[in-house]
Amino acid sequence: MGKDKQIQSLFQRVCYENDIQAYNELYIALCARLIHFSASIVSSFHLAEEIVSDVFITLWQKRNDLSHVDNPVVYLYVSTKNLSLNTLAQQKKHQHRSLDHINLDMLSIAPDAENGMVSAEVAQKIEKAIRSLPTRCQLIFRLIKHDGLSYREVAILLNISTKTVDAQLTIAVKKISQVIRFDLSNEIVQSFLRIDS
Amino acid sequence: MDQENLYTLLAREMAGELSKEEATALQQLLLQDPNAAHIREVFAQNWKSAKNSYSHAQVEQLLEKHQLRLQQAIEVREPVPATTAPRKIWKLYAGIAASILVLVTMGMYFFHSKPTKAPVPLAQLVTSKRTRSQIILPDGSRVWLNAGSKLNYPEHFEPHKPREVTLEGEAFFVVTGDAERPFHVHTKTFHVHVLGTSFNVRAYPTEDSAVTSLVQGAVEVVMNNDSRQVVALRPNEKLTVPVNAAMQQTTSAAPTPVPQKSKLALVQDSIFTETAWVQNKLAFKHLKLEKVAAMLEQWYGIEIDFRDDNKRNFYFTGVFERESLEQVLNALENTRSFTWEKDSTGKIWIK
Repeated sequence: MGKDKQIQSLFQRVCYENDIQAYNELYIALCARLIHFSASIVSSFHLAEEIVSDVFITLWQKRNDLSHVDNPVVYLYVSTKNLSLNTLAQQKKHQHRSLDHINLDMLSIAPDAENGMVSAEVAQKIEKAIRSLPTRCQLIFRLIKHDGLSYREVAILLNISTKTVDAQLTIAVKKISQVIRFDLSNEIVQSFLRIDS
Repeated sequence: MDQENLYTLLAREMAGELSKEEATALQQLLLQDPNAAHIREVFAQNWKSAKNSYSHAQVEQLLEKHQLRLQQAIEVREPVPATTAPRKIWKLYAGIAASILVLVTMGMYFFHSKPTKAPVPLAQLVTSKRTRSQIILPDGSRVWLNAGSKLNYPEHFEPHKPREVTLEGEAFFVVTGDAERPFHVHTKTFHVHVLGTSFNVRAYPTEDSAVTSLVQGAVEVVMNNDSRQVVALRPNEKLTVPVNAAMQQTTSAAPTPVPQKSKLALVQDSIFTETAWVQNKLAFKHLKLEKVAAMLEQWYGIEIDFRDDNKRNFYFTGVFERESLEQVLNALENTRSFTWEKDSTGKIWIK
């Protein structure tokens, strides 16, 4: 995809040309997504901002040794995941170094009602429906729908197969579609009622 | 059944994982199911985070905050010249350079050219005859310092002013691009003006010429004795300036030796003799044995002399990486043009 190519090219300019401008653009392009991802692990946006900043500091410091990185997006997500889990382990002193206990509040997404495709009410219902899904399913849905990751990228990041990604995403899409369908049929009922009255 | 399939296809389309055949199949399903077209539209929209959806302005603020933290991190870490990092980088060289001696002196200096304003604390990186080192400057630029060299640089570069460093010896620079603050390398013979690029400067006080070799980007070389004399270099070009030419006063009537532009010498693949040392390689192309001997002296920190002066003028080409001094000498000796021996003091004699 075009966006991926752009990120790839920014990353290469950072690594091979020490281009600080490209580095800043890379940060702007990815920081919000990475902060949300980190915040879901450490349960704090404030902490997540620092973690993602540290990830980018490391990127700058190690930029000339990153020729082995073939997918910058995955590299940055994995770095963010690792640093977030480490931070959590340090803070809580006991280790649960996995993504099983993520804070889904930080990840929840919904259609933007301002686009006019769905009402604010339906958007809320969709958000609620997503929250009723299993943790991993919600995470996968966000990473693909909102963060624009590919099946393969999600698979590497979460250590699962692309088949699992496909299956989990289908579950999420089905659940959300049912909410929209219900709303559409409601609308039809409403319009009939209006005609009747 | 069709509905299950529909959700899978919608999911794949959203993820950008839909094949051509699947796209056709999806079109078919959409025709049969008018509501599905609406659902598809909803998924095609941009969704937003329910919590903390960062606006453009907020992202800009995040970047500013991050830049401050980055600056602090670099300032804390960088002026301490790596004693561990170079070890890794130069590990191929470990056999010879068993101990890496990096001398660092920090002090308060002024740049000659600067009007006396706030003093900029200066740091200095010095390599001994047998060691090389690497450093990251406060702006993120990388410098590899060859043996027997000295680099002066400020502990931090001032905003909106050229970044100035002074070099005696040889260094390879990979300069961070910054249009507002051009990068200047000062030597006794010339100075080099850079925007963002990688290049090599060789200006040992003991040698009769000083050389700038450009690998990438663009630089301008300004002669110290005549600031109107500016030479622009393009990638893979080098400029050799006879030291006398630059030192000579303009009052002299004698024709001064002119700076010479030439191509970098490609020995093999992408190895240029001028910059091979950065990759820990010793490379020379069609070079007189006396010059090769001088390189070996510097590389291995030993002394070489000639019993038979005729041998000085034989030419050699070669690239060496991990070889010991003995291996290098034996390889050259294999051409049967000379023999060598080591005396009791460790000095090498060529005859």
